[in-house]
Amino acid sequence: MTFWNRLRFWIRKPQNVILLVLAVLLTFLTVVPLISLMRDTFIVHSSEIMSVRGSKLGDFTLFHWRKVFLDGERSYRLFYQPFFNTVIVSLASSIIAILLGGAVAWLVTRTDIKAKGFISTVFIFPYIMPSWTLAMAWLNFFRNGLTGGARGLVTALTGWVPPTWFSFGAFPISVVLGLHYSPFAYILIGGILKNMDANLEEAALILKASRAKILLRINLPIVMPAILSTFLLVFSSSMSAFAVPAFLGTPVRYQVLTTQLFRTLNGLNPGYGYIMALVMIVVGLGILAVNQWYVGKRKSFITVTGKSSNISYMRLKNLRIPLTVVLLLLVVLIAIVPLLSFLIESFIMAPGDYRPSNFTTLFWVGEGREDIGGGEPGILINPSVYQAFWNSIRLSVAVALVAGTIGALAGYAIVRARGTKLSSFVNNLSFFPYLLPSMAFGAIYLSMFAQPFLVLPSLYGTFALLVLIGSVKYLPFASRAGINAMLQLSNELEEAAIIMGVPWRKRMTHILIPIQKSSFLSGYFLPFISCMRELALFVLLVTPANRVITTLLLQYNEKGWNQWANAINLLIIIVVLVFNTLINRLTGASIDKGIGS
Amino acid sequence: MPEIKLREITKDFGKTRAVDNLDLVIHDGEFVTLLGPSGCGKTTTLRMIAGLESPSSGEITIGDKVVYSSKKGIDLPPDIRDIGFLFQNYALWPHMTVAKNIAFGLENLKWPRKRINERIQELVKILHIEGLEDRYPSELSGGQQQRVAIARTLATNPAILLMDEPLSNLDAKLRTEMRAELKRLHKETGVTVIYVTHDQLEAMTLSTRTCLLNKGRLQQYAPPMEVYRSPENLFVADFVGSPTMNFIEAKAANVNLDQVRAEAGSMRMVFEPVSGSITVQDNQRVVIGIRPENLVVQPDAPIRARIYSALPSGMETVVKLQIGEHLLTSVIFGTVEFSIDADTGVAVAGEHCVLFDKENGRKLATGRLTLVP
Repeated sequence: MTFWNRLRFWIRKPQNVILLVLAVLLTFLTVVPLISLMRDTFIVHSSEIMSVRGSKLGDFTLFHWRKVFLDGERSYRLFYQPFFNTVIVSLASSIIAILLGGAVAWLVTRTDIKAKGFISTVFIFPYIMPSWTLAMAWLNFFRNGLTGGARGLVTALTGWVPPTWFSFGAFPISVVLGLHYSPFAYILIGGILKNMDANLEEAALILKASRAKILLRINLPIVMPAILSTFLLVFSSSMSAFAVPAFLGTPVRYQVLTTQLFRTLNGLNPGYGYIMALVMIVVGLGILAVNQWYVGKRKSFITVTGKSSNISYMRLKNLRIPLTVVLLLLVVLIAIVPLLSFLIESFIMAPGDYRPSNFTTLFWVGEGREDIGGGEPGILINPSVYQAFWNSIRLSVAVALVAGTIGALAGYAIVRARGTKLSSFVNNLSFFPYLLPSMAFGAIYLSMFAQPFLVLPSLYGTFALLVLIGSVKYLPFASRAGINAMLQLSNELEEAAIIMGVPWRKRMTHILIPIQKSSFLSGYFLPFISCMRELALFVLLVTPANRVITTLLLQYNEKGWNQWANAINLLIIIVVLVFNTLINRLTGASIDKGIGS
Repeated sequence: MPEIKLREITKDFGKTRAVDNLDLVIHDGEFVTLLGPSGCGKTTTLRMIAGLESPSSGEITIGDKVVYSSKKGIDLPPDIRDIGFLFQNYALWPHMTVAKNIAFGLENLKWPRKRINERIQELVKILHIEGLEDRYPSELSGGQQQRVAIARTLATNPAILLMDEPLSNLDAKLRTEMRAELKRLHKETGVTVIYVTHDQLEAMTLSTRTCLLNKGRLQQYAPPMEVYRSPENLFVADFVGSPTMNFIEAKAANVNLDQVRAEAGSMRMVFEPVSGSITVQDNQRVVIGIRPENLVVQPDAPIRARIYSALPSGMETVVKLQIGEHLLTSVIFGTVEFSIDADTGVAVAGEHCVLFDKENGRKLATGRLTLVP
């Protein structure tokens, strides 16, 4: 066969065409921006001409690298301090998440605790809700007024004024991130524990091992891989979290990498920011490498999943009721009480005063008063809220359509061409955005699309840029869904149609998609919900004209317009929870199912 | 070594009764199988003896020690019952090597390191798994995992060995091999074995006594050949033996004390009990059971049959015979050629045909059966 004939034969298969297009497109949208980001760390930007002496725009310089890493005390404040803060906060939150999530997972899967259904549903809520939910709730309860503003609900109820370390900084950030990500631990560790054959424990019991020894020598080693992957996942998620440190750290100038990135990119030294983004990406990739290495090393644990019918629950005896009560209180405290606090705060006239006479509907339906927040109207009659909300919906729908469709096609092509180099290349490429911290990803796109690039005009400030970044960032959700859907389908279903001469498009629309419609649908829905509650990804790229509801929330919060912020937050949470529940009913997909995939 | 006694053991899971008023005595050194279809309560019974499950009521004694009694409020945990337990899926700890799996129980008994190592060497030799000591379970084949599990169970020299379908996860060839090994092991160690299986062949070949259970109730508890030749009831007769026993529903009447006449459609038979004389009422509804090997093809016999199908497998040939409206199975040793739809003659040999009462399914007698033209 000649080369041309072979090429013609190859190109006739739709999966090859799709893979080829995706390879080019994704290289352009993920690899090229990364290179562009690296380049940006070496050049002079327009706002930096004054500080880099004797330079012209676009000159090559090592100025940024020197300033970030080698400039003594200033580097310490600029980079090392936030970097160490990030490490401390991420470590602490990982430990909290593992201890809390692991304990709850063990109680729910291996003991006879009561109300398991309620606990396991509600315990996941903090993860489904936007990440800053608990941060805002923390502020509502534990503000101490020492850094300006009013005191919180706890002071109003008990008279206790929390010390500043309790209200702001490393402690609350760690706790809030730990709580937000403890569902990771619950799902990953619980998954192993649930499938762990009770025979493994019974065999040890018969061989005269004590309860403590069984827990230490049998249970713990078996869940160890899950604990490790939880640790890596929570660590990298905490590292890239922006909203929580922005809410809880900024008031006391407690900076982490993401907030510092935001400051420098929005300020006069984008070059510094790009270096920090690069550092975050390197750490993220390093964590992934450790995970891959560990997973590869301990294949032996796959045998753990046995007959789950062999489960016998440990009897908690006297502790059964007390532990149930404690756990119920906990989930109510972290999943339901925060929502109540938003509701209350949004009806308070003067912050910090919770007497009934101080309640007002001003911030929901009021016309606005000149002396409060510059006459900003209540959120239900506020055109800028509606505008931002409409933008969010529009953006989420567009992202869902683009990511979902490309993901479905990618899933089809990757599975059909399984085993080829091109297929695994596209597979890796489509998963790559998952590893990039949102804020760093935003920085990359800012760097690349701020000026005209090849055939593209400058996209900065356009709605299209938001759609683009959202689609690429959430493509992993959609392509995973597509791949899973295709893997469950046997080849013969399509081959039967090929033999009958059914064209490719009809095979997709009449056979493959209808059979796996809920899987493919989840590939559309997951990007939709994730987009609705995303902040860090968009915060660098929005302009007043196209701001979305989450960035509006951040603005209100920065201005200290607490009541509006609480009201909007409540609105976002309700929308996300309602959509997630609806989607879960319709397709079985849920945000938390995307964990660890 | 101890004797195990179960007295009036009942176990309820919520509203379903898994084991119903079970009495069982297992003598020292016996190999007893608990046999029955899935859900008959056999595994539950085993787990109750081990102490992994608590009965709802009754009493269990091992040797002279009461390990469970609902009346006296005794429920000893598994670790002081001095038993070994072999799980269906082996339950090898995936994070421990073969050697560590075997050593675990010995460490709990505070054996010195040196003795533990000697014991491991001894066991790997007995079970033919030398050289695998440092492997993880996932690096072993199913048969090897099985042997490691047995080694782990034997390590502490338990007086009683409880096995829960230990061979069901192996392929057919390995299973036959391991059966032989288990039987030798029982002989060499002299332990008391209680063995759960749903495979009647396993029960027949391995045990000194078979305990048949159905829906939580004891059906028959006897040596395997007795169960085979003289099944207590229709359930046992049907469950034991492959191919299964032929059952013919008939109306019976006494000719005299030692002869029962039976009629099933066009088929007429005379049954002569060898287990003692019986009386049936006139026109009593009965079921006659004939083992396939007792139904013989004799081309010149007066009773005619049509060859419905013939399945030669080398060692034996299974023939389906159409006799009037009845379709019966016969097994002939060796390969015999039959042409389908050919005409031949049949007769019933031996004195192990069984007469059951149709009403309650119980055995009335065993004896000789003659087909009457």
